[in-house]
Amino acid sequence: MVAVLFVAICLPVVLLVATPPQTAPNHVFDLQGHAVDPFHTAPGKIVVFLFIRTDCPISNRYAPTIQELSAHYSRHAAFFLVYPIASETPEQIRKHLEEYRYRLPVLRDPELKLARESQVRVTPEAAVFSPDRKLLYHGRVDDWYVEFARARRAPTTHDLASAIDSALSEKSSSPTSAPAIGCFIPGLT
Amino acid sequence: MRVVALVLPISALAVTLAIASAPRTVNGRYQRGEPTGTDAVTFNRDIAPIVFRYCAPCHRPGEAAPFSLLTYADTAKFADQIAYITEKRIMPPWLPAPDEQKFSGELHLTDAQIHLFRQWAKQGAPEGDRGDLPPTPEFTPGWQLGKPDAILHAQKPYSLPPQGTDNYWNFIFRTNFPATRWVRAIEIRPGEKRVVHHANLLVDRLHSSRSQEKHSGEGFAGMELRIESDTFDPDSHFFFWKPGSVPHMEPADMALRLDPGDDLVLNVHLQPSGKPESIEPTIGLYFTGQSASKFPFLLELQNDKVLNIPPDATNFEVNDDFTLPTEVQLLAIYPHAHYLGRDLLASATYPDGTTKNLIHIPRWDLNWQAVFYYEDEVILPAGTHISMHYIYDNSAANIANPFHPPQRVKGGNRTTDEMAHLWLQVLPHGTTTAPEQARLLLQESIARHDVTRDPEDFAAQYNLGAMLQSKGDSTEALRHFQAAVRLRPTEPVANNALGAVLIAVGNPQEAVAPLLRAIRTRPGYPPAHYNLGNAYASMRKFDEAIRHFSEVTRLSPTDSMAEANLGAALAETGNLTEARRHLERALRLDPQNTLAAENLVEVKRRLASSQSR
Repeated sequence: MVAVLFVAICLPVVLLVATPPQTAPNHVFDLQGHAVDPFHTAPGKIVVFLFIRTDCPISNRYAPTIQELSAHYSRHAAFFLVYPIASETPEQIRKHLEEYRYRLPVLRDPELKLARESQVRVTPEAAVFSPDRKLLYHGRVDDWYVEFARARRAPTTHDLASAIDSALSEKSSSPTSAPAIGCFIPGLT
Repeated sequence: MRVVALVLPISALAVTLAIASAPRTVNGRYQRGEPTGTDAVTFNRDIAPIVFRYCAPCHRPGEAAPFSLLTYADTAKFADQIAYITEKRIMPPWLPAPDEQKFSGELHLTDAQIHLFRQWAKQGAPEGDRGDLPPTPEFTPGWQLGKPDAILHAQKPYSLPPQGTDNYWNFIFRTNFPATRWVRAIEIRPGEKRVVHHANLLVDRLHSSRSQEKHSGEGFAGMELRIESDTFDPDSHFFFWKPGSVPHMEPADMALRLDPGDDLVLNVHLQPSGKPESIEPTIGLYFTGQSASKFPFLLELQNDKVLNIPPDATNFEVNDDFTLPTEVQLLAIYPHAHYLGRDLLASATYPDGTTKNLIHIPRWDLNWQAVFYYEDEVILPAGTHISMHYIYDNSAANIANPFHPPQRVKGGNRTTDEMAHLWLQVLPHGTTTAPEQARLLLQESIARHDVTRDPEDFAAQYNLGAMLQSKGDSTEALRHFQAAVRLRPTEPVANNALGAVLIAVGNPQEAVAPLLRAIRTRPGYPPAHYNLGNAYASMRKFDEAIRHFSEVTRLSPTDSMAEANLGAALAETGNLTEARRHLERALRLDPQNTLAAENLVEVKRRLASSQSR
């Protein structure tokens, strides 16, 4: 509760310091194949990328959690699902979104440019950026999985939510990371 | 007299039948030894033979694994991940440590094979010479054993929520074959394979699971099943499914007896996938015309009573030991614990003092539990001492711990309870006695073992009572049924058994109270009504007897003995016309019912003499 109040107060400040992206826009695409810059679509907001793929059971099991987190932070953070596997077609992705009841904006990152910028390695893995495109966090959503095929009954830490809370309270300065467990993104390791 | 044996808790019995036939198309000559540093490791020559043998049974379209590993392109995408998870021995899933005893369908990779995966990934996952590629494995589409003789569908699908913890659901398949069938195999198609971790089928001859369904046909929740049985070989066969498994076919002379109307209960372990799933299992039954002449026995060691694990204990030990009174052949083994189990060991100490591991699971993981079939013949002579030695970890470091922070955990059937069970499927040999005698000896020994281990164990007391009753020792049986009823005063099955044995020892007056208790707890319980009918008939209270026998015929319209006894009781009250009707029906239901035949002759004689007067 305290964090939320604090955010509400400092949000205008964040808006004021929002600046156009300082790096050249990376080539990510929407499902129509248009190049998009996610930082332009949500000016002033924290940007959260969730790297997922259609065939990774661990990232699929996270679908309800990802959807809940995005709803919880919808006023202050812009969530994007990012599909980094080049061979996954927009058609497969649309089907996947429908099956898992995702209601989030979607990006394709076939050249892994955003994945590299986000320093992610696996799916599911999250990256949190400041509105001025500074990487604040990359890593796991929580500690539900500790290894492939080894999940806790329920997570005991909520790393992504904590990272967003920190970002919103402008506490964090250097990217912090808790390693994610999931399916390796080919081409990054 | 009807005594109902109670065998509980028979639980998530699992079998590794699986993958046993996986190596069909694998060509051993492609397997190489330790690669030298300069060798290029290629998919076609080095990786494909391993992947086809160990991974493809699950990693192919339509199977449980999330992606396919049948081609170079499919596999190369995951080169790093394969190297990682094989090095950590996460995949392929195989719990037993390599040991002297070999199991069917072993999925244990050698260190050299794992090294190949790492080398291959390091070298950029080269494809290699096409000429080196072994044939792609051919898997049987659809039913693995061919078209089943009978196919049964779940009456109602189960809706698995997208989120949450592990989920256990039980489906009841109601059979209605016109005559007894002998079942050699049951192929389980568990529904959406990607969310089913394992499935296990039990026979429920007395429909004892039906009362757990809120609405008939919808199934019921629960991790462990409690099945009541009126014989001691209710579940001597494992019918199990795990990812990649092919059904186990029993020898024709060891088939399972399936009587008309028997229920089959499928216990399914599910993991939410992130989206709503509809689970709709199907089972295929394979019959043989041959009736069984060999009767395997499920020997159960367990010690749930001592499970009382304090929080943060990392090394909590549980043991049980049993000495075989007769020689057996050990066919399969199924160790079972819940989420706190860490190290599960079963060993045999032979009469000559040597000890062998029967199975050792150094890193227990409930998710990959299975029944393991021995590859070679394992004979355990009379006097062999079987030991179960399990270690539990109730610390926060055990990530499967259902409690955070850790809490005290005791034995029980819920997912948050713990279990310490070991089932051995054995075939009693009986070197000095007939196999059937050996089997009875074994049954009685294990029943006595259970009672000695824990006199407060209701099922143990009950089962020993039923065992003694079946061999005609009513006096000793009475003592154990009384103990069972003391432990669970309203338990209908035990009260019924107590009533039955009291009638057998010539005390029908005292039998009435427990039998009425049985009916109070379980209204419409046919065996209790039947025994009440007998008790009242013995006391020459025929009106009461008629009421209860009538109730049985209403509840179980095909019960020939109930019709016969109803006829006899009616005859005693002088209602000969009605008596004849019921005796005739008894004979229609079972032409071999000699009691009905004899009584019918007598009733007809009396009818004729009354008409002639």
